[in-house]
Amino acid sequence: MLPIITLLLFFSLTLAEPSESGLIFNLDNGELCLQSAQCKSSCCHREDGLSLARCASRAAEFQKCSPLHLYGVYYFCPCESGLSCEVDRTIVGTITNTDYGFCKDPNERVK
Amino acid sequence: MPQQQRLFITTLLLSVIGGEVCFARIGCFSDSSPWAGTIERPISQLPWSPETINTRFLLYTRENPNNFQDINAVNPSTISASNFKTSRKTRFIIHGFIDKGEESWLTNMCKAMLQVEDVNCFCIDWSGGSRALYTQAANNIRVVGAEVAYFINTLHNNFGYSPSNVHVIGHSLGAHAAGEVGKRKRGIARITGLDPAEPYFQGTPTDVRLDPSDAAFVDAIHTDAAPLIPNIGLGMSQTVGHLDFFPNGGEEMPGCRKNIISQIVDIDGIWQGTRDFVACNHLRSYKYYTDSILNRDGFVGFPTSSYSNFKSGSGFPCPSGGCPIMGHYADTGITSSSQKLYLNTGDATNFSRWRYKVSVEISGLLNIQAYFTVALYGTKGNTRQYEIYNGYIKTGSTYTAFIDVETDVGDLTKVKFLWNNNIIDILLTQLGAKTITVQKGKDGKTGRFCGSDTTREDILQTLNPC
Repeated sequence: MLPIITLLLFFSLTLAEPSESGLIFNLDNGELCLQSAQCKSSCCHREDGLSLARCASRAAEFQKCSPLHLYGVYYFCPCESGLSCEVDRTIVGTITNTDYGFCKDPNERVK
Repeated sequence: MPQQQRLFITTLLLSVIGGEVCFARIGCFSDSSPWAGTIERPISQLPWSPETINTRFLLYTRENPNNFQDINAVNPSTISASNFKTSRKTRFIIHGFIDKGEESWLTNMCKAMLQVEDVNCFCIDWSGGSRALYTQAANNIRVVGAEVAYFINTLHNNFGYSPSNVHVIGHSLGAHAAGEVGKRKRGIARITGLDPAEPYFQGTPTDVRLDPSDAAFVDAIHTDAAPLIPNIGLGMSQTVGHLDFFPNGGEEMPGCRKNIISQIVDIDGIWQGTRDFVACNHLRSYKYYTDSILNRDGFVGFPTSSYSNFKSGSGFPCPSGGCPIMGHYADTGITSSSQKLYLNTGDATNFSRWRYKVSVEISGLLNIQAYFTVALYGTKGNTRQYEIYNGYIKTGSTYTAFIDVETDVGDLTKVKFLWNNNIIDILLTQLGAKTITVQKGKDGKTGRFCGSDTTREDILQTLNPC
């Protein structure tokens, strides 16, 4: 089994064009991931603790989000550029990765 | 012994010089030209018997949305005993090669329809004939078409049910079976071909394949139109209907180029993932159709001659009468100047998208290598940020792009602009959008938005109507 996987990895890597989606990094939405750094969108997302994680789009304004987290896998994706995930951090939430908030534009608040 | 020998020789001769099989109820089928012996159909094969193919009609209605009723026209009393009602429209869904009528996509399509309308929805199962060599299955559809035509005929004769209430939807080989239905029973309202199968049909005479004469209205969705050799494109590139939709250009569907593990280990399970691994592009056609049932205006098709023209903005925005809509609502009466229609879809369900043209006029002091994005805000919601331009940005210039957004935002209220150049910016460069013009593809409505200031990178600039 292991040699087959190595072979597959090898061929996929050699076949992959630089601009195309990769096997380990630069993954498209919907591809399986272990870490957000692997995804083009920089969000590795899973529905719950038992489901597999896949790359997903980051949250748009007013959508539910998680703040940046060390685990690198999210139940709700972090926000897009320029937005901040407004959330009251708790200790339990920080450990279990369940501090959720909503994406807001920090500029809008000033006005 | 000599008799057996003679029989053997006759069968042998028959298979060489062509033959004919006849069945009770549905008539005779020959394997002479154009059914075989042509360049498109080199291997001749006679269809199997109706008993072997065993075409079944699985009825779903609002009275029984979860469990089908098995009905057949040989015994019309099964129809009157069922939930079939003549007051409703009837839609038949025919699967393709290898597939079966109980497969979840047919059931899901029926369920989606029952959410929006009161119909008799038949999933047609011909797995007895679809699980054969391709050349055999391609001929078995003639019997399937004849069986469905016989069923519609029975509805017509025994129940006074007009074929103008009938819509036949077919995927792959099923699309050509639907064409056969239309040839045998004239006056069917509509046939929808979901990526009609290419081998043994593309380039053949209209008698063999689906064509616009088969029903009052024929629409098709092409999702795997690349050539069979060498691209293994299973669908037709040839136009077959009054309206032919080519979502994403018709050849490569987004979401179908995942790596093998991600593709097979699908969100909808290993079975759906394996199906997509084998024929992802080809199967997208019915997924788009199913999504279109619940998203009425998320699949607007733009009339133009090729995908590259569509990408460069030809056919945009829709003419005053509106554009045809791909999928379930293609029969809303909107005609088009072009038979070919193009649009973009999403990469996973929900596939619906709304197309906009966005023009951004840049203000600032410094030209810079960077990219910028725009997000739309409206009465019904807001979108993600969509990249408009990536490259050397000159202040004072206008940059235009087409975007397909995933949310129906309603009437636009504001637009947000953001730029970034992926390097830590020690010069504290300021860049902004002076004006942003947004045009909606569906109705051509244009909104103009103005911004006065400039911002540093990664900070959202809000532009209001002006």
